[in-house]
Amino acid sequence: MSTSTPLMPDDRRSLMLRLTFMQYFVALLFGALAIGFWIFQVAQYDKFRDMAEENHLRRLPLPAPRGVLLDRSGKVLVQNQNTFNIALVREQTKNIDQTLRALARATGADEAQLREIVNRRRRDPSYRPIVLIENASLEQVIAATSRRLELPGIIYQEVPTRRYPTSAMAAHLFGYVSEVTETQLKQADYKDVESGAIIGQAGVEQAYNRRLMGTEGNKAVIVNSLGREIDVVKSLSYDPKEGQRLQLTIDADVQQAAEDGFFASGFNGAAVVLDPRNGEVLAFTSHPAYDPNAFAAGIDRAAWNALNTDELKPLSNRALQGRYSPGSVFKMAVGLAGLEEKVITPEFRVFCQGGQSFYGRYFKCWKPGGHGSIDLRHAIEQSCDVYFYTVGNMLGVDRIHKWATLFGLGVKSGIDLPNEVQGLVPSTEWKAANTKEKKWYAGETISVSIGQGQVSVTPISLAVYTATLANGGTRITPHLVKAVDEGQGLKAMPAPPPQSQVEVTAEKLQAIRDGMWLVVNGGSGTAARARIEGKDVCGKTGTAQVISNQGRTAARTTKNLRDHGWFTFFAPRDNPEIAGVVFLEHGIHSANAASVAKHILETYFAKKEGRPLPHAPTREDMRLDLRDSFARPGAPVGGN
Amino acid sequence: MFERRLFFHVDWLLLSAVLLLAGIGLTMIYSTTYVGAHVPGGGHAGPRFWVQLYATGLGFLALLIFLALDYRFLAEHSLFLFCALVALLIYVLVGGVRAGGSTRWISLGVFNLQPSEFARPTLALILAMYFGENRRGARNYADLVVAALFFFVPFVLIAKQPDLGTAVTLIPVCFGIAYLAGLRLRLIAVVAIAALLLAPVAWKVALKDYQKSRINTFLDPEKDSRGAGYQQIQARITVGSGGLKGKGFMEGTQGQYKFLPVADNDFIFSVLAEEQGFIGVLVTLGLYLFVIFRALEAARLAKDRIGAYLVGGIISGFAFQVIYNVTMSAGLAPVKGLTLPLMSYGGSSMIATLAAFGLILNVRMRRFTN
Repeated sequence: MSTSTPLMPDDRRSLMLRLTFMQYFVALLFGALAIGFWIFQVAQYDKFRDMAEENHLRRLPLPAPRGVLLDRSGKVLVQNQNTFNIALVREQTKNIDQTLRALARATGADEAQLREIVNRRRRDPSYRPIVLIENASLEQVIAATSRRLELPGIIYQEVPTRRYPTSAMAAHLFGYVSEVTETQLKQADYKDVESGAIIGQAGVEQAYNRRLMGTEGNKAVIVNSLGREIDVVKSLSYDPKEGQRLQLTIDADVQQAAEDGFFASGFNGAAVVLDPRNGEVLAFTSHPAYDPNAFAAGIDRAAWNALNTDELKPLSNRALQGRYSPGSVFKMAVGLAGLEEKVITPEFRVFCQGGQSFYGRYFKCWKPGGHGSIDLRHAIEQSCDVYFYTVGNMLGVDRIHKWATLFGLGVKSGIDLPNEVQGLVPSTEWKAANTKEKKWYAGETISVSIGQGQVSVTPISLAVYTATLANGGTRITPHLVKAVDEGQGLKAMPAPPPQSQVEVTAEKLQAIRDGMWLVVNGGSGTAARARIEGKDVCGKTGTAQVISNQGRTAARTTKNLRDHGWFTFFAPRDNPEIAGVVFLEHGIHSANAASVAKHILETYFAKKEGRPLPHAPTREDMRLDLRDSFARPGAPVGGN
Repeated sequence: MFERRLFFHVDWLLLSAVLLLAGIGLTMIYSTTYVGAHVPGGGHAGPRFWVQLYATGLGFLALLIFLALDYRFLAEHSLFLFCALVALLIYVLVGGVRAGGSTRWISLGVFNLQPSEFARPTLALILAMYFGENRRGARNYADLVVAALFFFVPFVLIAKQPDLGTAVTLIPVCFGIAYLAGLRLRLIAVVAIAALLLAPVAWKVALKDYQKSRINTFLDPEKDSRGAGYQQIQARITVGSGGLKGKGFMEGTQGQYKFLPVADNDFIFSVLAEEQGFIGVLVTLGLYLFVIFRALEAARLAKDRIGAYLVGGIISGFAFQVIYNVTMSAGLAPVKGLTLPLMSYGGSSMIATLAAFGLILNVRMRRFTN
């Protein structure tokens, strides 16, 4: 059966040669393969190991509850409450558009907005959930879960959400939280913040964001190629750590009293109340306010636009960012400057005829008939303009500037809140550097003497000024945090050191304070309504013109041209423990501000002495004076 | 037909290496198809492991049969075998089982048979016979044309299924035998150049869209990292993340979590690289190289040209498949449905491969017989 041909010798030689060639050829290719695998598996191992890990390991952030905010006595002011988020995991859906459309249909959300959210986060890893609907209602969650099949990639997260007190209490103090913006992500401050994180955007929430944020937890899961969760890697997962609890210096009741006072008065404005001994802020409010809860739950565009375009600027923190003429509350600075610069003594008298000429111009006193012969204490009590025109004229603007600045006017208070603005107390130097005119005219000093003209201050700086007068010259730094819980219970947070210590003669300062006592208790003072029996409340009213009298005459009288009302106060006269300022925007009369202050003070003392707290005042209780008494055309006039 | 003394001439080393490779393959298939405990009712070997195990048993039987029959007897009847193959391939196109977009199988009730896997040994037999019986060897174009006819019929039939990957493996079988039969390298070069010139035409006319996209993807895998390029990138990650020592048996994340597609089939070597590391790769490549060298040794020892050509043809196809598949498993070659002989999941492939090694052992065993 063997028909095959045996190999011939030369045949065999050629065959052997070719087989050997084949052998080398194959060996060469195998060698190349071995080198290739060596490059991948040994030389580039690290790179591929990371890529493999990225493939199957998913790290899902678990949001940490933000630290709770407590008031000075431990009452909870701001806390967290779990809400539902509806989110999208892109890698679990093939058709994102379709999913978004179906979700919009099911929940009534705006499809275009959903798309925009996804687009904004397009660079995130596709396994990371993108929150589409924050604080979803139960109906939305039910509607979406019942259509599970139409909504691949849609998940539901229970997340801790900020709960603020209702009725916008202390909104500007607390601030609000919202998702970190793309601009913020690029800033160094937010270097380690992940996209989608919730951060403080104003107030204490922003100032203490680091402490309040806590540490995001992490759930490391193994997923297969379809993105399905297979297992949790315990060793790589950890629970979120709640943010630090902060005990604020705020007294919830005093704060409430300030809010109630504003609501009863119906005016906008700001109030800052603090402890003049150490700078602890007891109450801090700005009106109109906003509801921070709206942000916590993801504010919608319409509400955001409304807040931003509102003429009354509810997002602006008037206490820190509003600059207004102080009017007569500035007079203590002028009086003190006169005393300290030895230009006058407390017994120095001026005869007020209801006005006086300076540098060829007639300056009126607010009181048409004049105050007659009057000394410093009574000039403060009755807010005599002519007295302070005279003293200011004797001092010159630079010495006024010096003492006003020493007491905290025209400079920042240093409060631990973001975006504080600086007021202005003019000086010759300032004018030379900042105006075209350059030269200071002595006539300008006259207006400055009664807190008009170029003088502008923030409510917070007036509160510091008042506290510094009250405590004998220590320009305390207002601050909001009393204690912090870093994990071992509340530990006192050291108060920031005072900004400065003013060298003043006690007797001279006492003369000023006597005048402020008379304002409330003197019988003919301008704020008799702030009197509280046995508490020796001291204070000073101020009315600030929004527009010159000429301008006012020219313009049709409208609401937003009415005067601002100020009342600064401290109590008791000896060893004061509370000081502050109430500012009523277009409040017409400073006495109206005194009414708000009185409610604050009554609440403070009632609480301190364990008496029942006064009820929230009604509008009638405020005894508001709403007569717009403007009817005096002519020369500029100081406030009362 | 089978004499007792032949038993002593069996190349036990080659046989052991072949069975060892099949064993490594089975182990990897066990690992990658294991039904994990996270699946309800899981925690046991997957069905494919058992299929492969049975196929290996059947393949071993085939090996014994093709060892027992004298290869010259088979060569003499190679035309008959060839016709049977062509008939089966035609039958596949007419009444075959369709799966995954192509028709490759004949249903035998218990399992599906893939006749194209038997094309390589059959082609090797008929070409070895043709060139072995020709005194002049293969020196001129006429010889090439005849060889080309034997090649083209099954090639076209297989390519039509479509299964270009398997069809292409016929080419090295042809060239291997033609080369050993004395075909000048110059001629091979001419054919290669002609093929290159024809490539653009083939691109336009012959290649299907999915085949074009595979080649495009190979050239730039990142472009389509979720689509066709995905496999290639995942293959590299799988191999690279194995490192020197590997992640351990059944610990490979890429294979276990299904990031690597067709892990038990085309990419079984990637699974090995991931779980056993570079060391495992070297050992396995070493075994393959040993098998190829040992087979070439059998060709060297062959008593006649038929034997030498037969072994040369079979081992050329085998080596081509191994090299191509291993290259592809590291993401270094376009992804083709080309299995790794002895290791990839696939019953017909296992049976045909073991049968082919039966032939190789056969040639060596009968080197002294007349």
